[in-house]
Amino acid sequence: MKRKILSVVLAATMSIALFAGCGSSSKSSSGDSKKAAAVDTSKEGEHELSVYAWDKNFNIPALEAAEKAYQKKDPEFKLNIIEQSQSSDVENAITLAGSSNDYSTLPDIVLFQDHYINRYVHDYPDAWVDVNDADINWDDFGQEKISYSTIDNKHYGVPVDNGTVIFAYRTDLLKEAGYTIDDVTGITWDQFDEIGKKVYEKTGKYLLSMDGDGNDLPYMMLQAEGVSQFKDGKPNFVDNKTMVDIINVIVKLVQDNVLYLANDWSDYTDQTIVGDMVAGVMNGNWIIPTIEQVKENSGKWEITTLPTLSGKEGYASNGGSSLYITSNCKKTDLAKDFLAYTFGGGDGAKETYDDALTNGGVITTNVTCGQSDVYQKGVEYFNNQPIYQQIVQMGANVPTVEQSDYHYTAREQVAAAIHNILDGTDVTSALKDAQDQVEFSMGNDSNS
Amino acid sequence: MEKKTYKSVQTKQKAAGWVFLAPATILIFVMSFYPMIRAFIISLQTGSSANLKWAKPIFYNYTRMFQDKKFLLTMGNTFLYLIIQVPIMLVLAILLAQLLNNKDLKCRGLFRTMVFLPCATSLVSYSLIFKSLFATQGLMNTVLKNLGLISTNINFLGTTGTARAVIIIALIWRWTGYNMVFYLAGLQNIEYSVYEAAKIDGANGWKTFWHITVPLLKPTIVMTFIMSINGTLQLFDESVNLTKGGPSFTTMTMSHYIYNNAFGKGVANFGYSSAMSFIVFILVAILAFINMKVGDTRD
Repeated sequence: MKRKILSVVLAATMSIALFAGCGSSSKSSSGDSKKAAAVDTSKEGEHELSVYAWDKNFNIPALEAAEKAYQKKDPEFKLNIIEQSQSSDVENAITLAGSSNDYSTLPDIVLFQDHYINRYVHDYPDAWVDVNDADINWDDFGQEKISYSTIDNKHYGVPVDNGTVIFAYRTDLLKEAGYTIDDVTGITWDQFDEIGKKVYEKTGKYLLSMDGDGNDLPYMMLQAEGVSQFKDGKPNFVDNKTMVDIINVIVKLVQDNVLYLANDWSDYTDQTIVGDMVAGVMNGNWIIPTIEQVKENSGKWEITTLPTLSGKEGYASNGGSSLYITSNCKKTDLAKDFLAYTFGGGDGAKETYDDALTNGGVITTNVTCGQSDVYQKGVEYFNNQPIYQQIVQMGANVPTVEQSDYHYTAREQVAAAIHNILDGTDVTSALKDAQDQVEFSMGNDSNS
Repeated sequence: MEKKTYKSVQTKQKAAGWVFLAPATILIFVMSFYPMIRAFIISLQTGSSANLKWAKPIFYNYTRMFQDKKFLLTMGNTFLYLIIQVPIMLVLAILLAQLLNNKDLKCRGLFRTMVFLPCATSLVSYSLIFKSLFATQGLMNTVLKNLGLISTNINFLGTTGTARAVIIIALIWRWTGYNMVFYLAGLQNIEYSVYEAAKIDGANGWKTFWHITVPLLKPTIVMTFIMSINGTLQLFDESVNLTKGGPSFTTMTMSHYIYNNAFGKGVANFGYSSAMSFIVFILVAILAFINMKVGDTRD
């Protein structure tokens, strides 16, 4: 009898706890529904727009800045920023809407990753509205950036941030090995290798690290040479001499303990960068907040350009995103005007980009706005270097290379090829294999 | 009124039976069989998910699979896990069950709970725990280093061989206790008198195990085999959470590859993914069938 009572009491407490748990969670989710749940663009007011974005430390402050700026023109304007937990949530939302042929679940505007947009416009042409007729001076933007959102000669997106690649070095560690920031600027990869070996020997730190599975190095290093992994829409790995050279450099750097390939993205950011394993970081400038997480290294970092094969200063771009209007937008005129007025370089652009930089560290690709005063300021963490100004200048030099729908497929396969080469496969057959795989993926979709 | 009275009791009972069956049957059809049929239809189509078209030739997705080196690699990985992990796990489980079935053992309940406890952890959280244990700066490396067994930290999850080994170890840790419970239940059903008789006949522990325990446990062993094969072929969480399939796809399982093709980066290749899922389904069916034939006790 006692046992029965005990079990009844236990069951009762558990179910109460569960109910309470569910109750509170449903409450909190309804509280957050403004943030996460579906939007209904047909119920919005005349001066209201909704937008998906994903980083509350980075692109959401930029959107808030734009909202504030546009309110000067239209005091009743309201921008409904719906926070997604990661960029892939936006991609999945488009996939879902496209697959079910029901675009009514989408917001008016989405922030979308540059490397993905090409493929999504081709796969789901009905999901987008072009912004060709918006009042935007396209020549005032970095042309490399615009090349992503221009698809079949039509402008689809308005640029937000800047993916210009920086090479940040720990000057204190370089000094220990007997070098300065000038010694690593405008050098060849072979010289870089020599310096890296010295740094590893003296300090035990790698001069560079990268996520070994989502390896962005080949793309960035190739772009710095002005070469693409693709030629006329086809992967061009094996017969691409520059690419073969680059892959050889990467392999040599790993073997010499200059480059550390992390197992995945969080290993790359948390272990190698925040975990203080490296003396150098090379990636899109959005990596800066990650570097800045280590407070005690403030003032020890400085940025410069990329090494290249020939020794000229290298410029590249990686990542970044733009704003796109979806086909579910009922007020396309308002949306276009908002984008043109703020991020598109209109009257509110300076205010938008200034606040975006101050509050979120978002750097513009707009040439005029990049000359604003806030860009001239030195950044304490980077030894008072005016890094933003430098990044804008570097961004103007990034060569435009052929883009492809299959950017990430290529990245994945080349990363696998590098692993295989390190395990003993010869370069040509590993790259041939990767090229075959990318062509194989392409073959699937062309069969239709 | 009259009509009703004509109905025999049997018809009435039959009608009642159908009424009771209907909700479950309809639900199974709608929730389970309809999606399967849809998946099969999709597996014959290609193109972007907004604009699926019939494949030409119709079994394009199926024939294409066998030219896909990556799919064949993931299939090889999955079978490698299957061949190494399942036997080790089941042997361990049966030995543990035998040990814990000992009537003279003190704190049996405690030990049983301890062995079973891993099964209570969720797949994702235990994968993450193993991931941090075997990280380059993780506990395992620290222990091995302090013991003087290694001089530099090993990148367990970044090297093919060790990464596969870690997945297998993790799987064994997670599932041994689960299978042990089935064996324990099976052992409870074996009369103690059978063992006593064997003892009187002079059989030692090893002989009793092989000639009494194993044959009498056969149905349980077949069941655990089928379940383990099925589970391993559909392995997903460990591959995703421990290694993300890396390095260079050498630890990726079939299910993980299917997922990546359907919901991975920038691709929504539903046709091809569905086709691969059907291949996994057929593989599971064949292996289960062989197993049942081998384990069939009716001669």
